[in-house]
Amino acid sequence: MMVAGIDVGAATAKAVILSDESVTGSVVIPTGYDVSTAAESVIREALENSGRKIQELSFVVSTGYGRNAVALSNKAITEIICHACGVNWMVPEARTVIDIGGQDSKVIGIDDKGNVDNFVMNDKCAAGTGRFLEVMSKVLGIGIDNMGRISLQGTEPCSISSTCTVFAESEMVILRARGESRENIIAGIHKAMAHRVALMGRSVGFRKEVVFTGGVAKNEGMKKALEDELSLEILVPEEPQIMGALGAALLARAEAARRLD
Amino acid sequence: MPEYYDRIFGICGFQDTEIERERSRIERALDKIGVGPEDIPRVEQRLREQHEVELEGVRKILRAWILELLDLVLAKEEGKTVIYYGYPSIQGPGMAISSESGENVYVGCPDVVLCHTVGLIFDKLAPFLEAAETNGLPPGHGLCSLQQIRNGGLALGVVPVPDLVIASSYYCDMGSKADELLHEIYGHPAVYIDGSMDSRWGEFPRYDLERIRFLGGQLDKLFANVEKILGIEVTRRSMKKAMATSRVLYSALGQLTSLMTADPMPISGVVSGIAMNLAAASTGRSMSEGPDALSTLCKEVEGRVKSGYGILEKGAPRVLNFAHSFSDPGITHMIEKAGLALAASFVTVPPGKRDKSLKLYSLGEELAESAMRGGAYHSTYGFAKRFAEAARSLSMDGVIWGYQYNCRPMALGSHLFKQFIEEETGIPTLSLEMDYYESRTYGAEALRTKVETFAEMLRARKAKA
Repeated sequence: MMVAGIDVGAATAKAVILSDESVTGSVVIPTGYDVSTAAESVIREALENSGRKIQELSFVVSTGYGRNAVALSNKAITEIICHACGVNWMVPEARTVIDIGGQDSKVIGIDDKGNVDNFVMNDKCAAGTGRFLEVMSKVLGIGIDNMGRISLQGTEPCSISSTCTVFAESEMVILRARGESRENIIAGIHKAMAHRVALMGRSVGFRKEVVFTGGVAKNEGMKKALEDELSLEILVPEEPQIMGALGAALLARAEAARRLD
Repeated sequence: MPEYYDRIFGICGFQDTEIERERSRIERALDKIGVGPEDIPRVEQRLREQHEVELEGVRKILRAWILELLDLVLAKEEGKTVIYYGYPSIQGPGMAISSESGENVYVGCPDVVLCHTVGLIFDKLAPFLEAAETNGLPPGHGLCSLQQIRNGGLALGVVPVPDLVIASSYYCDMGSKADELLHEIYGHPAVYIDGSMDSRWGEFPRYDLERIRFLGGQLDKLFANVEKILGIEVTRRSMKKAMATSRVLYSALGQLTSLMTADPMPISGVVSGIAMNLAAASTGRSMSEGPDALSTLCKEVEGRVKSGYGILEKGAPRVLNFAHSFSDPGITHMIEKAGLALAASFVTVPPGKRDKSLKLYSLGEELAESAMRGGAYHSTYGFAKRFAEAARSLSMDGVIWGYQYNCRPMALGSHLFKQFIEEETGIPTLSLEMDYYESRTYGAEALRTKVETFAEMLRARKAKA
């Protein structure tokens, strides 16, 4: 049986093809303006990578903020549920998921079956999300992919008082004028974000194992900042960005099997 | 001669003869709120898709709301004295004043009336908000949208400048500040009811008697001012009279609340919302039209319950929702489409019993004591405690604590509420940042992911149990 999960997020669209027990293809592309087109492109590329055809798909689950705009989808499920499911498959011991994506961040409590037992998600404000890092990287003139590596060289993270994306931009100007090193500034940015996520997730709690997913999980500086803030080890799966799409594919497989019964 | 709006007024329960009789009032009111022929197809679609207009009771409630709107916007033209009160409701005093006033006095809560009519029915609130943004309540300052709607109504000349405003800060400090601003702009008299909702965490239901004396004194001062400014004498007898008039309405509301314990859920939260809030915002049409409308609705809902009809599948998780959106039925429907039965809201939770040994010396003190017992005016703890108790006693599967992001008392306690309710009752609680009064930035789509996940979580939990 071949199924697919498509995660159309604010910044990137991801697809995972699952054939029986194994992932046979996965792709990440920028979402761009048109959500439907992004969904079509990402599934087409994922199928090409696995050398399979669209007609072979038994079931497709879409997720992410654009989940209801995916024409190919048989069912739309929220990314919180999909992330929980994907992480449970990759790390069965996981009880907490920290997911930081392009426009939102979540702390998800999960049980041993990968069911969500509690969650909290950021509200309207994009502080504490990938968007915050993206804006800061532009202000500092550093590629977003390099921020993690650079921040790990920081010795005294600067104190960033605001995690408001707009206000923090002004703070960057002041810190640079004061001659703070970019390493310490970026480490400070990560620290501020980690603090915000820790505060947000307090109502859910951070039960071990804690797994970090979403595009921002690829940032090793952010992982360290979270570990320092929470005083616990954080696991990052090999492909943290596709956990939502993977979970969607797993739920598609379960749904397809249920319908066959 | 039929006019472009006859069709929607018909859907809202108006008979042809009544439309004819009210035609001049309807046209003047529609002109004021800016509804024209181009709006009718959209309004009709909204009514048919978002309101259960197949129920006669719903049509009668919508009619009552529209009549309240006509009374409000035409009050001055029709030679009435106009008194506004604020929301969260200080409706007790409003009712008492109303019971002593003749037909030549309009007493109501204009912002809530505008939300439920211009918003919920006609979907035309945006110009009101934009008008307020240029009339002292600018965008981006985290100001309450309900206050913006009242302000916008005055700025656009839709609602008349009142003869008296009862400004309350005994729950909401923004309301009295917004009224102060309006007083400065329009010059109408305002009576400020000061209060204190500060008390130690864990104190509810006990309270310091001085708080009753203080708030009671403030309310008595209001009644003295009403007499001085408008010549209307308000006494304990006035409240008794108001209670007698409203008994039928509140009894029907109680019956509706009880019918909503049925599984499957017989009606949408949109219906229960317009029914419950009519009593909170209006002292006129709620009393004259409300009892018949509610009684008709209750009979129809009872029929649905007996036949096993539900808007959701039997066994859908039942949720205590803080309140349903005042102006956008799409938000309430989104929650229901996610599979959650909106079985109760905070306004349907009855307060505890009064301590009969307590000596209360005036109408003001009686109203203050009642407010204190309600929890919300007591303290954040009182609010949370009553909410938790209600969720437990109604055997809810979940709680949605939707908090107004720009409301200090609600936003400050938002995450504390979730923690408290979950610890106290074990019932999962969703803390949902939203806007009850307008949905330009907090529409159904912005809330969907959280609500759908919460619904899935509750279903899984129920299945496991």
